[in-house]
Amino acid sequence: MSELNNFADHPLLQPLDPALDTLPKFFLDRAKRYGADKVAMRKKRYGIWQEYSWAESLAHVRDFCLGLVSLGLAREDKVCIIGDNDPEYYWAELAVQSAGGISIGIFADASPQELEYLVNDSESVFVVAHDQEQCDKMLELREAGKAPRVKRVIYWEERGLWNYNDPWLLSFPQVEALGRAYAADHPGAYEELVAAGHGDEIAIFSYTSGTTSLPKGAMISHRNLIYSTRHVVIIAPFYDTDNYVSFSPLAWITEQSLGLSNHVQNGIIINFPERAETVQQDIREIAPATLLFPSRLWENLISMVQVRLSDSTWINRALYKLFMPVGYKVVDYRDAGKEPPLLWRALYRLGDVAIFHPLRDKLGMVRMREAYTSGAALSPDALRWFRAIGVTLKNLYGSTECQTHTVHRSGDVRFETVGPPAPGVEIKIGEGGEVLVRSRSTFQGYYKAPEATAKALDEEGFFHTGDAGFLREDGHLVYLDRVSDLIQLANGESFSPQYIEGRLKFSPYIQDVMAVGGWDTPFVSAIINIAFENVARWAEQNRVSFTTFVDLSQKPQVYALIRRDVERVNATLPPPARLRRFVILHKAFDPDEAELTRTRKLRRRFMEQRYGEILHAVYDGQEEVRVRAEVKYRDGRSGFVETTLHIESLEQKETEAPSHARA
Amino acid sequence: MPQPKLQLDRISLRFGGIKALDDVSFEVRSGEILAIIGPNGAGKTSTINSINGFYRPQEGRILFEGREITRLPAYKRATLGIARTFQNIALYTHMTALDNLMAARHIHMRSGMLQNALFWGRTLREEIEHRRVVEEIIDFLEMEHIRKTVVGTLGYGLRKRVELGRALALEPTLLLLDEPMAGMNVEEKEDMARFILDIHEQQHMTIVLIEHDMGLVMDIADRIVVLDFGRKIAEGTPAEIQREPAVIQAYLGEVTE
Repeated sequence: MSELNNFADHPLLQPLDPALDTLPKFFLDRAKRYGADKVAMRKKRYGIWQEYSWAESLAHVRDFCLGLVSLGLAREDKVCIIGDNDPEYYWAELAVQSAGGISIGIFADASPQELEYLVNDSESVFVVAHDQEQCDKMLELREAGKAPRVKRVIYWEERGLWNYNDPWLLSFPQVEALGRAYAADHPGAYEELVAAGHGDEIAIFSYTSGTTSLPKGAMISHRNLIYSTRHVVIIAPFYDTDNYVSFSPLAWITEQSLGLSNHVQNGIIINFPERAETVQQDIREIAPATLLFPSRLWENLISMVQVRLSDSTWINRALYKLFMPVGYKVVDYRDAGKEPPLLWRALYRLGDVAIFHPLRDKLGMVRMREAYTSGAALSPDALRWFRAIGVTLKNLYGSTECQTHTVHRSGDVRFETVGPPAPGVEIKIGEGGEVLVRSRSTFQGYYKAPEATAKALDEEGFFHTGDAGFLREDGHLVYLDRVSDLIQLANGESFSPQYIEGRLKFSPYIQDVMAVGGWDTPFVSAIINIAFENVARWAEQNRVSFTTFVDLSQKPQVYALIRRDVERVNATLPPPARLRRFVILHKAFDPDEAELTRTRKLRRRFMEQRYGEILHAVYDGQEEVRVRAEVKYRDGRSGFVETTLHIESLEQKETEAPSHARA
Repeated sequence: MPQPKLQLDRISLRFGGIKALDDVSFEVRSGEILAIIGPNGAGKTSTINSINGFYRPQEGRILFEGREITRLPAYKRATLGIARTFQNIALYTHMTALDNLMAARHIHMRSGMLQNALFWGRTLREEIEHRRVVEEIIDFLEMEHIRKTVVGTLGYGLRKRVELGRALALEPTLLLLDEPMAGMNVEEKEDMARFILDIHEQQHMTIVLIEHDMGLVMDIADRIVVLDFGRKIAEGTPAEIQREPAVIQAYLGEVTE
């Protein structure tokens, strides 16, 4: 479907100039140009946004790079970086790449086992670790003889490490000091290292989140990363005055392309939040030009607004009630391709002053030009809600292996699609409705896994996404589900559990859902995970007393509450795809228990196995089920909880099936 | 032998006919964590109150860094470097966490009324300096997200943390903690224990704490003093205390047939 892309002649899609074909080359070029006069990064520390100029940034990258070289880093060596987003993270990554090395980002909450796998699979020789917590994990691995290749661990947050005195551990400034000493003996060494780089060299390994198997390291070249930013930038330009808040894990490919690669190519200012808990507040203070959240974070924002509003003054609630329908109405007009009548536009203007603008301000979205959602599908209701308050959320659909596949354009946002292919990206539909993608950012294969690579990349260079979807006549791609997750019901119709889950998750009271059904089962059911904070608040307001999560989840009143949401969603589904029974789980789905991937996607197979007993009871017609579930604590210990779960049944109304609904 | 941080020399404290403390003597060494344990009503809080000057013992002497402070009022002891937290949190509940900490800096403020009224000159410089100290504490205790939250709306565990922060804002050299972990869940307790150890480790702070969770006390204390009915019945390292028959008796009651 490449005829949709009229960008072939676009200057940003031309072959790269060899003088500017790696991230460090761009970085060095920008840093020399901007020098000490322009802010490169800010980090909030001690309550103040501390600024770093491009010159300072360059000094850190150069010193750290040469420090690593003096410690023995060679071209193509791998370095793992684990921790929260900080200037040091960016510097470390650019330093590794400057020396021709490959950086591997790891999620800060990775367990020692996960860390062991990633460090060894990538054959890393250095690990740059944020703080004591991460250093402890590494020390634990070394004790067990499980980090044989790692020469040194370098940390950038000293707290708690004062008395470690282990020569294996070095601080960030210590390595920088080594680098300065090295530079004194080797003038110009840094510039030479950078100039020796080539666009086709691998810049990072990005480990796939592994919904189905062990994580695989997708090899991403500099060229891949440079173009992946451009695929978005061509339709949504960035300027060096733009602010960006870096809070998505750098282990995630989108932060690499929208954050780091965007920073070095376009000079956007990177702002680092004070701490994970303050991200929302910090975003408000920065009011960034763009935001990319995974879909569940957008949904969380809606829940947060709704809950805060219910605690707010009556006048705020009244204004919200009064103007939200106006917002929706205007969105409906625009969707139908019509300009809303003057009256509605005037009303919307009023609503904007009264409630929409204040809401956007609270969310830090007053200067935002581009708002993207990615990851699991966002419910259409959530997209509609944001558009009603004046935030046009665009879907950005992509993968680790091929980065951006599709993205909505301004003025052509369709709720039900993930948008047309991004500039420079080709998409076609393969066998079984699978989405195939090819672009300049198609990855270079999985590290040490030629078979998996051959499966994922065909001879024509198309990446097989494993996603099911179809291209519409207007060029938009509709994403259905993972090919392997489409489920065939007894009557032969297929349905998408993810779609049902997306709809249900719009309820402020539902945190997670797993919809189950098909093949050997006669109907669809669901395991539901309540949103503890919101349900607890609701319980308080409605005088439902409870002790713990387990207790609250099994209250009849809570079942009635959730049931209302289930019935609302059922009404939009064709009868065979409706939920007939559901269970509220006594605990939250948890990545620490391997129920979710680190990007919080469900691991369905694993869950079906794990909750086999419950599902058996559901399809056996039982009213309740006793469960004894193993819980793993963060520190690796495990224990058991035992409790009885109620199974709720819904009457099946065969009538009133809306013909337009498809799931 | 180096100078002890604090010496209690034969302290007795009476309320009417009731003897809250009876001839109690012990010393706190510089840079150690000393735990005071004992059953309810043993006189633990009375001891802390005597050290920081809330109570005046009728007999005995208290020496802080070799200097007698028995007759000094509480606020003067605070300026010497003795700070405390309370069993029942005592914060300004209507103020933010940040303001509570800033209020504690008051004893370090030197500027005059006129300058304060104009918020100029020394006042401004001082305000910035104090804010820096306070922000370092906020960073240390990981309270950035509640900096501007009114203390009254915070959960119990976080309020305890704010209170610890306020005590640190005095920049003390001796920290008295009255049940810093009471009423907390396991996770909050572990956090608090980590903070106490970090303060101890990084600032070489001398700490006296009262705590009921024996597991925790045994883990973090260098030495333990055991009180029962106002008298000291034992003193020693955690290992020594665990073997002490008088302690076992005080905790489990007399063995009768």
